[in-house]
Amino acid sequence: MFLPAGSRDLTGKQLTNRVAIYETFQSVVNLRNYQAIETPVIEYGNTFTNSYAGMTLKKMLKWFDEEGEIEVLRPDWTIAVARALSNQQSKRQKWAYAGSVFRKDHNGVESHQAGIEIIRTPGLYGEYESLFTAVRFLRELGVESYSIELGHTEIFETFISTLELNEEKASQVRQAMHDKRKDEVYRLISETGSEQTAAAVADLADAFGGTAVLAKYEQEWAENPKLLAVIQELQQLAVSLEELGQDVIVDLGRVKQLPYYNGAMFRGFLAANGAECFSGGRYDELYEQFGGSMSAVGLAFDMDVLAAALPAAAKQERVCILTDAKGLIAAEKLRDKFPHAVIDVRTDETAETYDQVFQLVRNGEEYEVKAK
Amino acid sequence: MKPVIALTKGRVEKQFLAYLEERAIDSTPLVEKGRKLSVETDQAIYFFAKGVDVTTYVEHGIADLGVVGEDIIAEFQPDVFNLFPLPFGACKMAVAAEKEKVWPDRKKRIASKYTNITKQFYLDKGESVDIIKLEGSVELAPLLGLADAIVDIVETGTTLKENGLEVIEDIQHFTARVIANRSSLKMKRDILQPYITLLQEEVSTS
Repeated sequence: MFLPAGSRDLTGKQLTNRVAIYETFQSVVNLRNYQAIETPVIEYGNTFTNSYAGMTLKKMLKWFDEEGEIEVLRPDWTIAVARALSNQQSKRQKWAYAGSVFRKDHNGVESHQAGIEIIRTPGLYGEYESLFTAVRFLRELGVESYSIELGHTEIFETFISTLELNEEKASQVRQAMHDKRKDEVYRLISETGSEQTAAAVADLADAFGGTAVLAKYEQEWAENPKLLAVIQELQQLAVSLEELGQDVIVDLGRVKQLPYYNGAMFRGFLAANGAECFSGGRYDELYEQFGGSMSAVGLAFDMDVLAAALPAAAKQERVCILTDAKGLIAAEKLRDKFPHAVIDVRTDETAETYDQVFQLVRNGEEYEVKAK
Repeated sequence: MKPVIALTKGRVEKQFLAYLEERAIDSTPLVEKGRKLSVETDQAIYFFAKGVDVTTYVEHGIADLGVVGEDIIAEFQPDVFNLFPLPFGACKMAVAAEKEKVWPDRKKRIASKYTNITKQFYLDKGESVDIIKLEGSVELAPLLGLADAIVDIVETGTTLKENGLEVIEDIQHFTARVIANRSSLKMKRDILQPYITLLQEEVSTS
């Protein structure tokens, strides 16, 4: 039998690692007083495609229900959790989730995520808590070499809001900026007449690197209260991470990928292969669709990337106990003698290798243990 | 660690090597590579691939940077940074048809290698057309009656002319461009930036 393109079976290191990573995640978020939340795998498409959420149907796995509504497999956790929390009476602030998301733009259609949502918290609490949880979680996993990149939606959006571009043009500029395509950014903006803004925004494409970039733009934007506030916010976050011993990079030219982001954006890159192991940010505007504005910050870890990056788990002692069918009970009792070993009780010989092999031999009514 | 650079084989490759030479970037091992598909110099590791494969290698981070025609980027929309244009490989994407073409009274049929660009172009225009995918010698399609018009790369226009075709509408102008892997550009910034700066340097061509 065949599998559809993009679907796959999984065994071995990738799977055992992922299970272990989920366990570590649960333990880290439990110790930080997060409440678990799970949303269904099947939802209405409109939950994700409405103007607040802004995803496109194209890449979702979807079908019509009997009433003609479009249903989809969960393409995104954050939006689903926002929908669920807006119906909750609970006043809890910190929520954690783990499970699959389905989108047709990855190497497979199913990817595995775990993440956190922090709502109704004051100031930068949400940003700090998200980033600190990421640092703690990755440390518990033993991931040492990675960089956290900080960005902010309001840098690009502040420039663009002065230009009175229509939505189509604005999204073209945003895409060109996302691609760091300076010549196109300059061309599109200078068409509206403001060459000064065009040059300033095009320069932002190069405003990435170490935290020295923040100092440079703090000077450059000293006269602009709005942009200066953004830089100072990023500086606070960068300093806090550096104090925890974390490598920080910034990209001031980063633009939001979904319309609901409105504040700091962050993600983690593994040093070994550059893979993105988490991403998130602030998205108060996502919750606005449910009435009332609310602080909302969060991030999601890519469990597949982490599982591939971690080394295989340390080898455990392996013990084989050979017996006949009647000796299974005696063998089960023997497990108490090796509480931490992997014990393989078998009734037939095998080519697998073990650290110790025992044979249970019947002696009258009893079984006797003999080392082999 | 050195930058890993994927180059589009053929014309773009030759022009890029000349471009490197102007900037005093050592390209001798590249010129003398023979049939080797991968060459290391003091400055970088280069390998050679078909245009669309260059974007794939860069997207997956096998190569940090790539040199590729913008037509390929526009057609395949790889998820990469599309950094800056290079001053060669200039061409345009255009609609061409037979001279004094009499359009039939039905939905047009357009033949092209670039089906995504074609689709987007007619979508923006608000015109429904049927697109026929061809792999090469697209100019044949109108002559043999497979299509009413073609969407293809035009460099000098000689091929069109010799086959009795003419450009009826320009779609977009293209040059070769430098692309970069999204995380390499940041995580390997220290080793990539000097090379990128060299590539962007203005040199007098006198």
